[in-house]
Amino acid sequence: MLYFVARRLVSALSVVLVTLIVTFALFFVAPTDPAGAICGDRNCTQERYNDIKENLHLDQPLVQQFAGYTAGIFAGRTFETAGVKQKCSVPCLGFSFKNDRPVTQMLKERLPVTVSLVAGYAVIVLTIGVFVGSMAAKRRGTLGDRALMSSTLILSSVPYYIVALMISLYLTILYQILPRGGYTPITQNPVAWFTGLLTPWLVLGLYSCTQYARYSRGSMVEALSEDYIRTARAKGLSDRVVTYKHGLRSGMIPVITIFGLDIAGSLSGAIFTERIFDLQGLGNLVLDSLSNYDLPVIMGTVLVSSVILVAMNFLVDIAYSLIDPRVRLS
Amino acid sequence: MSIGSPDSTVGIEEHPASAEPVRGSAVPHGKSPTRVAVDRLRKDRVAVICAFVVLFFILIAIFAPVLTKIEGGDIGTFHPDLVDEYGFPTFASNAQHWFGVEPKTGRDNFARWVYGARPSLIIAFVATLSGTVVGVVMGLLAGFLGGWVDRIISWFVDFVLSLPYLLFAIAMVPIVESMRGGSFNLSPEEQASTRFFVLIFVLSFFGWAGLARIIRGEVLSLREREFVLAAKAIGVPTRQVLFKELLPNLVAPIVISASLSLPAYVTAEAGLSFLGVGLIEPVPSWGQTIATATNWFKADPLYLWLPVLGITALVLALALLGDAVRDAFDPKTRR
Repeated sequence: MLYFVARRLVSALSVVLVTLIVTFALFFVAPTDPAGAICGDRNCTQERYNDIKENLHLDQPLVQQFAGYTAGIFAGRTFETAGVKQKCSVPCLGFSFKNDRPVTQMLKERLPVTVSLVAGYAVIVLTIGVFVGSMAAKRRGTLGDRALMSSTLILSSVPYYIVALMISLYLTILYQILPRGGYTPITQNPVAWFTGLLTPWLVLGLYSCTQYARYSRGSMVEALSEDYIRTARAKGLSDRVVTYKHGLRSGMIPVITIFGLDIAGSLSGAIFTERIFDLQGLGNLVLDSLSNYDLPVIMGTVLVSSVILVAMNFLVDIAYSLIDPRVRLS
Repeated sequence: MSIGSPDSTVGIEEHPASAEPVRGSAVPHGKSPTRVAVDRLRKDRVAVICAFVVLFFILIAIFAPVLTKIEGGDIGTFHPDLVDEYGFPTFASNAQHWFGVEPKTGRDNFARWVYGARPSLIIAFVATLSGTVVGVVMGLLAGFLGGWVDRIISWFVDFVLSLPYLLFAIAMVPIVESMRGGSFNLSPEEQASTRFFVLIFVLSFFGWAGLARIIRGEVLSLREREFVLAAKAIGVPTRQVLFKELLPNLVAPIVISASLSLPAYVTAEAGLSFLGVGLIEPVPSWGQTIATATNWFKADPLYLWLPVLGITALVLALALLGDAVRDAFDPKTRR
């Protein structure tokens, strides 16, 4: 077991390291002139250009630049713009010269929005999605099951952003049936926080429920045909106990795996939801940074989401091998 | 909710009633698995309808110039006389402009709609093709050669699969643009064509890994089989073993993966264009039109609904066709 964990950890760390190098290389080696790209072509004075160049240490050799960037993540660094020293505390992911702020600070500001969105989404898919899936598994082969499964297939084939956009335009703006999307910090006003996020939650959650219903139906069908379920039934346990206590427990293992990866992916994959419902989260931050060529911000966000994804991957692997001893052997 | 990643629900779901298994087919032997699958597909009504819808869009894309010539419009001409002072079109539809004109610019909607089918289909097909070729070759090499080749390729597969794909797609855009000399120095046409290749590159870069993993697994079990051992024993060169002996046995996973990729890539292309990361003016694309049309959706619903219906119908048809193809190729539903 220890060997398994160690091997997974090494492979996870190697992926993180390569991601670090790749993001660095993409932004600082590939473009012919990163300082020019950051400075912009329109109102870039020679002074500002030199300032950026010096502060990014672009006159140093590449290896040294990379070492500085990496060291900043663990030890923090100091940047100097227009004569003012700015401290970039640990974990320092670079400095946005467009906004005159450390990237980490900007990410921290946006993170609660995305986390709130993903949290509500998680609740919906895990309750409604799994419930619908296991109901269908229990009644498999009936008309209701078949109708449900074909309708989820059709719904999940329509692109997500079309569904979200149409609901946003017609149900929240034109005919105000659902509350309009928006973000208020929960500490400021919990009610406004809830109503502002309600529509995005419902849209994102119910759309993904189709996937979860299919997954959990598949694994529940398998779990319910196991021998121990028959034994439980023969013992005279009630149908509800058999389905939800005995069946659901083992049926949920594959669903939880997918869920772990999906949640990590959603942190960066909620871009469409954030764009359409105008939530200022990480996704919108990246899109805004793209439109004004704020490369350090894009770089930092990509790195952070990759690390979250890799970490979740690692945790899911470990959790899976703890739950299911068959996995450890491979 | 990840778009564009052809992972999926294959295998985990039960198969919908759509695919009626062929019982007691006339000739019990002499048919290749692919042949059997095609026969089953032809009997599936949903699959046939979806195939026609897809064909319809492909024909529209191919004959876009002819269609616009019949209508008499084109994609680039501005008609400021056809919009009022606030930018709203003055009419809904007439003989010269079948689907009306764009708000503000007055460009012909029909022409832009039929030309909009092109990038979606071209990008989806090219990305699927290149992703499949790379995935198959990598999977074959990793599975068949084993050893350090396998370890390196498997590591790359894991690496690619653990990257946040949407973010990388977004990040690639400024990099490739600045490699070509910065966005401000490029003409709109150059910039648009850069975006076109960035999209194909990003989609195939993230598309090959899943297939490579599946192919590797299949090859690992196939290479121990007698016919491969026999071929090796009589001294058939490795390349021939790979492509003549193994490849024909991998048709099913390849077709399945491609059937998942196509709708995913059409969705991804339009989605990225919608976010402003994909195709840009002056190339007409549905995703981009949707993004602009959201500002006019109350006054000019047709402008929004045209590309929305285009994408939805195309993706839905591709997805349902893909589902039928997966059923047809799945030996588990075969009696």
